[in-house]
Amino acid sequence: MRVMIADDAVLFREGLARVLQAAGIEVAAQVGDAEQLLAQIRADPPEAVVVDIRMPPTHTREGLEAATRIRADHPQVGVLVLSQYVEPHHAVQLLQDGAGGVGYLLKDRVADVHEVVDAVRRVAAGGSVIDPEVVAQLVGRRRTRDPIQELTERERQVLALMAEGRSNQAIGERLFLSPKTVEAHVHSIFTRLGLHAAPDDHRRVLAVLAFLRA
Amino acid sequence: MRRLRLALALVALAAGLVNLALIVRAGDAPPRSPLYLVIAIVGVSWSFVAAGLVAWRRRPENHTGALMVAVGLAYALPGLRLAQTPAGYTLYLLTATLPSAVLAHLLAVFPDGRATSRLQRVFIVANYATTVPLAFVQLLLVDPARLRCPECPPDLLGTGGQHPYGEAVMAVSDLWDVALAGLLLWIVVSRWRRAPTPRRRGLAPVVQVAVVLLVLFSVRQALRAVLSPPPPWLDGALDLAVLTTLMLWPLAFLAGLARSRLDRSAVGDLAIELEQAPSADRLQQALARALHDPTVQLAYWLPDQQAFVDGATRPVELPPAGGRSVTILRHDGDTVAALVHDAALDDEPELVQAVAATARLTIENQRLQAEVRAQLKEVRASRARIVEFGDAERRRVERNLHDGAQQRLVNLSLALGIARSQVPATTDGELAATLDEAAEELRLALAELRELARGIYPVILSEAGLGPALASLAERSPIPATVAAAPAHRLPARVEETAYYVASEALANAAKHARATAVTISARRCDGGLEVEVGDDGVGGANPDGSGLRGLADRVAALDGHLRVDSPTGRGTRITAELPCGS
Repeated sequence: MRVMIADDAVLFREGLARVLQAAGIEVAAQVGDAEQLLAQIRADPPEAVVVDIRMPPTHTREGLEAATRIRADHPQVGVLVLSQYVEPHHAVQLLQDGAGGVGYLLKDRVADVHEVVDAVRRVAAGGSVIDPEVVAQLVGRRRTRDPIQELTERERQVLALMAEGRSNQAIGERLFLSPKTVEAHVHSIFTRLGLHAAPDDHRRVLAVLAFLRA
Repeated sequence: MRRLRLALALVALAAGLVNLALIVRAGDAPPRSPLYLVIAIVGVSWSFVAAGLVAWRRRPENHTGALMVAVGLAYALPGLRLAQTPAGYTLYLLTATLPSAVLAHLLAVFPDGRATSRLQRVFIVANYATTVPLAFVQLLLVDPARLRCPECPPDLLGTGGQHPYGEAVMAVSDLWDVALAGLLLWIVVSRWRRAPTPRRRGLAPVVQVAVVLLVLFSVRQALRAVLSPPPPWLDGALDLAVLTTLMLWPLAFLAGLARSRLDRSAVGDLAIELEQAPSADRLQQALARALHDPTVQLAYWLPDQQAFVDGATRPVELPPAGGRSVTILRHDGDTVAALVHDAALDDEPELVQAVAATARLTIENQRLQAEVRAQLKEVRASRARIVEFGDAERRRVERNLHDGAQQRLVNLSLALGIARSQVPATTDGELAATLDEAAEELRLALAELRELARGIYPVILSEAGLGPALASLAERSPIPATVAAAPAHRLPARVEETAYYVASEALANAAKHARATAVTISARRCDGGLEVEVGDDGVGGANPDGSGLRGLADRVAALDGHLRVDSPTGRGTRITAELPCGS
């Protein structure tokens, strides 16, 4: 698999490249801003890119804007956006733009190299990735009448993994549950929360996030 | 200069007296009626010289006064004919029209004392150039009887003047006079039309007399040309009318001077108007009326800023020398204000001083108000700057944390992650456990740092706007919070930041003190502004003077907004901030 990395912090960028290369992923380009990244993608599109949200010139949301452009111009390129802040707003914005193939991950997550590699592979495969921290903030949000409190502990775990963008199979592997059991939990959760079953994983993430943010 | 003026006055007096003596000596057979001569010599000559000397003393740099004296002296010349000698008579005939030529010059340049247009210069030259030559031609060709002096002694040239073209020469010179008078009328009227308003008051009597004079003169010359000659009674009457009007001219000049010098009634009206303690605008209008100058501008002196400002404390630049005039008003030697007015008012320093003295207290009062307003404006601006500086500082600290400490810890996480991934799963469980512990500790440190940075400045606010920032605030709230309304579009950064901190502080208060179970945040556009309202269902009784709310009120006031705290005991708290978006 080929990926590209865009981050103006050189030390971090190189460390990340090492991690990905160690996992057998080819790092085709390392650049410091969105413009260079877009040029590299146009020249030879990789399967995925990892982008820092704050880059030159304004250090605000260049990464998000680049992600939107990449998803529009190169739908086959997965985009993983790295941020230092837990902002569900940005995560949802990112997901709303396309039909999967995007992810919003905290930079801290690099402490676990497997998780970063996993996230890159998932966006490259067209999946959606939402950082567990973002999901935790949304699930843990105080509500006046909270239907989430009525879920079982196991159902809440399944709900969080769905919000992170994981498939039923991945949820089953994580929680050591059979596919049938996971399906039963998902069905129960949707019924209790009053949600309609979504046709695919990406739209399922959007539906769950929309519910959690309401 | 004073000596010269005195000498000229004495010359005029002497010439008049000599003329009078000659009239008396001529006894019963004077060449013209005694009344005519008395008016011409004494009335016109002396009154022009006297008025001219007054004008000369007032404005020595203006030639009007000198010209008036010249007119007066010229009108003493007709006395020459009374000498009843051939030389005197000839000289009289040659210079007979010189007084009117000098008078025409005066009327053409009044009141500036110099020609201001090409037309005026052309007129003055044509006027002088034709005077003596025309008289000379008349002398050669016209019957002396036709020159209204049948009993005059024979002239020096001795031609007898019986030429066949004599009548035609008379008609042409009379019509030439009519043409010159018409041109002069045009010049006088256009000067009047161009005069600035304050000058017109003083100018009016002079212009009116000049117009009547020129019309009478033109009628007389036209009748002479057409009827050649007109009946003596008609010609004599018109002569007398022209001369009487001419005598009125210096009187009109003095009347205009008195009129503009001190307009007591206008000053009186001003005093009454000032009783009403007028606003800065009304005061300026009242001064404009009293000075008859609608362009008057009053500028107050602010010693703190060493600058002049208008009633709304906008800076006022005093005009450069040579343009509009400035009268500085002082009290006990200190500058109070500046009166910027038309340069024409420089002719009337008494009026300006009287108006200034009458309005002194009111102007001083307005100056103090302007000073207070300027200080208030300065205090407001400095408060806004303090808030702005604080916000800029928050953004800077957040940025430094993000790019500095946070980035370094993230790099450290990455290094730890790489190290951990290189520990083989089969060996040394202790090393792996230590690295995991370190990674967990680092994760907590990063989480804390993240919250700290977010508390200092929420980046989402500048990146995504007030709506997403309020939603984010509600998502993190320790008590259930909902955002009922948020503006769909971006607002000025100061407004967004203030609105955000109002919501943030109100939410924190609700969580800490109010024992609330639900909070509603709404931010709505209204009348070009933004209204932020945070209501909870807690115990109420919030203290608006507590440090948190007091600080919020200051922050809101820095934007010229208002903060209301409605917190009746037991019935929840509602904090409302109205923020104007214009500034």
